[in-house]
Amino acid sequence: MAQPQHSAVRNRLLKALSADDFALLQPHLQPLRTELRQTLIHPKEPITHLLFPEVGYASVVADVAGNRIEVGLIGREGLVGASPVLPEGGTTPYHEFVQSPGEMLAIGTAAFRATLDQGPTFRTLMLRYLQTVLIQARQTAYANAAYTMDVRLARWLLICQDRLDGDDIPVTHDFLAVMLGVQRSGATLAVQSLEGSRLIKARRGCITVVNREAMVELVNGSYGGSEAEYARLIEGM
Amino acid sequence: MPRYYFNLRHRPGPAGLAVDPEGEEFPDLDAARKRALDAARDHIARTRTDIVRDWFVCSFEIEDEDAQLLLTVRFSETVPEVDYGD
Repeated sequence: MAQPQHSAVRNRLLKALSADDFALLQPHLQPLRTELRQTLIHPKEPITHLLFPEVGYASVVADVAGNRIEVGLIGREGLVGASPVLPEGGTTPYHEFVQSPGEMLAIGTAAFRATLDQGPTFRTLMLRYLQTVLIQARQTAYANAAYTMDVRLARWLLICQDRLDGDDIPVTHDFLAVMLGVQRSGATLAVQSLEGSRLIKARRGCITVVNREAMVELVNGSYGGSEAEYARLIEGM
Repeated sequence: MPRYYFNLRHRPGPAGLAVDPEGEEFPDLDAARKRALDAARDHIARTRTDIVRDWFVCSFEIEDEDAQLLLTVRFSETVPEVDYGD
């Protein structure tokens, strides 16, 4: 595949770069087809590549004492590997893998660091991005403490839909359970609850959002704040 | 290994059954029953949902791949019967 052009990239961080900064990165970006469940970053292992999602998204999962719980989601708004690599921490305790397959642009860790040193505006953008990741994680902590499983499922579906094109979100109940931190039967209940309120339609392995406005209303402010902060910090809106 | 489906009955009628679309494999029905009890304990302890008012009226209706009901596991079975002698 040819080197990506600035005008054609879909990743919002790459889009937000100045032409000069993009030119610094461009020779190092390698297009990569991603497959469902493909591991991008192993926990506690040296990180060799960072990845800008173009299509699809990755899950960040904590696997503690046999309990797997999703603690983050990175799609075209983000950069897989940024939070361990930017502060030069080197590794992460979390497993990061593809949850929605598509395409990502990979860059070697050394080339990424060299570009940070050459492009001061690039460094600023990356630090701002880390701030948005922190806000998103704090919003999730808030939602987990404050809301029922049904509301948290609605919030998660909105976040996924932002990172996809269209209304279909491919997901199994098995993974929804990991995402919600509940039993699989709990995920099934939450799906039934939202479906009963006619917010979604579910079929095996796929959830379709049918009433996004009502979902935004249901999640009661736990969605939208961090998305607005992202637009302000990254896209200057 | 056979696949078992753990449908969650939370109130009477068709709308009161959350049908498990995926199922899970276990060596036998006894292992599936143990899994159902573990899941029930976890729900009672920490699942907050708008759809279930009282976990203790719930049960798992365990079915096989042909949707034949094999066993009903009531959530109340997670609490041992205690004889208070009265």
